[in-house]
Formats: sequence, C-alpha cells, structure tokens
Amino acid sequence: MNFFRRKSIFVLLIGVIVLVVFLGYSALNKGNKSLPEKIVSDTVGSVQNVFNVPIEYVSQFFSNISELKNTYNENKVLRKELAENKTLIYELQELEKENKELRRMVELEDSARDYNPINGNVISRSPERWLEFVTINRGTKHGVKQNMAVITVDGMIGKVQSVSNVTSTVQLITGFDQLNQISATVSRKKGGNVFGLIEGYDAKEKALIFRIIEDSGGKLKEGELVVSSNTGGLYPSGLPIGKIKEVNPDEYGLTKIALVEPAANMSEINQVIVVDRLLETDEDGSDE
Amino acid sequence: MKRLFIPLILFLLVVLEGVAIGLLPERLLTSSYLIVPHWVFIALALLSIFYDSYDTVNAVIYAAVFGLLIDIVYTDLLGVYMFSYAVGIFVVHLLKRLLIENLLLTILMTVIGLMVTEVIIVAAYTLADSINNPVQSIVIDRFLPTLIANLIFLLILYPLVTKTLLKLRKQYISDF
Repeated sequence: MNFFRRKSIFVLLIGVIVLVVFLGYSALNKGNKSLPEKIVSDTVGSVQNVFNVPIEYVSQFFSNISELKNTYNENKVLRKELAENKTLIYELQELEKENKELRRMVELEDSARDYNPINGNVISRSPERWLEFVTINRGTKHGVKQNMAVITVDGMIGKVQSVSNVTSTVQLITGFDQLNQISATVSRKKGGNVFGLIEGYDAKEKALIFRIIEDSGGKLKEGELVVSSNTGGLYPSGLPIGKIKEVNPDEYGLTKIALVEPAANMSEINQVIVVDRLLETDEDGSDE
Repeated sequence: MKRLFIPLILFLLVVLEGVAIGLLPERLLTSSYLIVPHWVFIALALLSIFYDSYDTVNAVIYAAVFGLLIDIVYTDLLGVYMFSYAVGIFVVHLLKRLLIENLLLTILMTVIGLMVTEVIIVAAYTLADSINNPVQSIVIDRFLPTLIANLIFLLILYPLVTKTLLKLRKQYISDF
C-alpha cells in the first residue's frame, strides 16, 4: 500500500509536468498545428464528414417542417422582392461594366472587395466551447489559409484559426477577444464616415462590442448595417457583420460603444464560404 | 481484433461528441446554459468500474490518450482534457475499491469523477483565458446542466454495455 501511494504521487507529478509543458506549447504555438495534430484532426474530420450526412439530413427535415408553416406569407413577400430585384440586376450590370472600365483606366486590377469563395460545410462544433469554434471540411488542399475570413450568405461568422490538410478550425466572432479585432465601418449612403473595431462579444446582450474610434459627423442610428473594412489589412471590405442594436458611451465617456447584433445566425451554421482575398494580406496577420 | 474493440468505440464517441451538438435544439444553443458532452468520460468511468480489476488501470491510460485526442480536435489548449480525464477516472478507480458495482453507486462514482474533471477543466481555462466568471454563474450555467445531460447519457449507456464489459473482463483476466 505504501509503495502504491508513493507511485501514484509520482505519476500525478509527472502528469502535472506534462500538462504544464503541453499548455505552454499550445499557448506559444496558437494556430500553428504540428504534423501529428494535423493527422489526428484530418482523421477525425473525415469520419465526422461521413456521420454528418445523415445527421444533417435529420435536422434539415425538422427545420423544413417548421419552415413549411410560414411558406405562404414568405412567398408573398418574396414575389414582391423578386420584381424589385429584376430592375436592380440591369442596373447592377451597367454599373459593373462601368466600374471595370474605370478600373482599367486607372490600372487598378484587384479591388479590396474582391475575393475567391471557397465553399464548405460545418462538420462539428467544439463540445467544450459551442460559441467559439467550429470545424469545416475544407483545408490546405482546397486553398484555405490561416486568418482568412469565413462568412455565410447572411454575413461574417469568423476567421480561420488553424488549418490541416482537409479540415480547418474556424474561430467564431462570438469567441473573438482583444487579440483578434475586426476593423469595421458603418455602411451608409450619405453622411459622415464611422470607423471602429469589433472588440469582442457580450454574451449577456448577445451582441458584438463595436468601439467607435473615428466618427466624422452623422449620428449612429439603430438598425444601421456594420460591414468589415479594408483598413485592418486582413479581411476584404464590405462583408456584412451585423446591425446596430444600441449605442452607449464607454466607461470613460470618451468614445462610443455600439452593440451589434450579428447578421448571421450563430447557432445554426451549416454552409460556409471561406473568403480568399485577392489583395495581398499583411504578413504579420494582426489587425491594427 | 477484440483488443481493438474498446479503443474503436471510444474513438467513435470522440467523433460523435462534436457532430451531436448540431442536433441540439436552437433555443438551447443560444441560451446561457452550456452543456458539455462528456460521453467519452462516461464510457471510461463504466470501463473503469466494470472492466478494470483492482490493480489494472487500463481506463486511466485510455483517459489520457482520448483526452489528448479531444484536446487536439476540439480545443486550442493541449493537455487540459488529457490531465482532467485521467485524474477524474483515477478518482473513480479509487472509489471503486470502497464501493460495490450497482447502478446507484455507479452513478455516484461517475458524478464525483465528473465533478473533479469539470473543476479542473474550468480552472485550467479560466487561468489560460483570464476570464473572471463568478463561481455562482459557472455552477448554474455549466456544472448543473452538464451533470444532468451526462447522467442521462450514463443511464442510456449503462444497460447496453455492462454485461459486455464484464464478459470482456473475464477474458482479459483469463489471458494472463
């Protein structure tokens, strides 16, 4: 018994040392996966890919049923919108042509708005942190790189945290912290420019914290659309992030803070698009 | 082939833990409750109680290996699950020496082990992320829902695997 006691304390000590070494290693190499880690996440990812098919089928089935209930009303609204869109398309085509010609005139090839879409599927969520990480079934093989923005059709949902061969981990905007801020502006037709940083997520309010840095006139209104801006050097400009829910002064009364409701539904993410920016991205990969 | 049976099941549970979250109703996902599925832990606790004898620690070794797997696949900090699962299962292993193997005492042992594990995990993440959540909100939002959800999983798993594990144990002992 005495021998056993001594042995178990010995093992416990080794365990603590291994824990500290691993913690230190992963804290230093955040985002860079080592080869064994890549192999493990690829294997698990490909098995999850298989299981995901029937599970998605089942959950789709139930959401389809609930959607069926308000199909009629939705159809009415959509018909109206469709008619409006038809005229918009012609307008857009004209503008696009004009834009291209103007670009050629000033010899500007890639705009900060342009990107290559890489379509993917969410295959799992982290059980430990639902609202912080999801895994998608696209990796280096498909051209995904670290720090690329990830969007759904509704808006931005996060950025690529680490990549393996055929899977990658996406850090969601609801799990962003001070280390990875997004530079953003308010999309407006007229009026002053508003520029600021998305600093994090308020879990109680269920909204993103948008600190306004520069505000050249024009009051912020509720419901205004917040989009990503090119100034951070990381994401293409014009990706919708969310709508302003509330504007408050910060704790020192010097700047304003807006609460932004994410445009994408953060609890149900299935199809995603990884945004491969055409414009060169800053190498250091950090936002100002 | 029979030796691969247990690791294969555990691997499958690791894989399904992440996929199964997609099946949870949306209301639960957006609420402040956080249910962490510890299916692997539950399976390991049953393994420790019904498969290991008093002086083998197979389950503890499996706990370290599959804890590391969870760390790699689902989180960005390595070692937290590995350490906490191993300690939690070791607690179950020690308790097993004192108690007998029936449903109620199995639940008791698993709950104690799971609580130890959860405390270590939350402590490690709090230290690493320097988030200061008040203890009360952690208990109400995370510990209790997690405990209840995993107990349900234990009650489902218990009748399915105990007989098989006891059979496997007999084979394991007779191999030596």
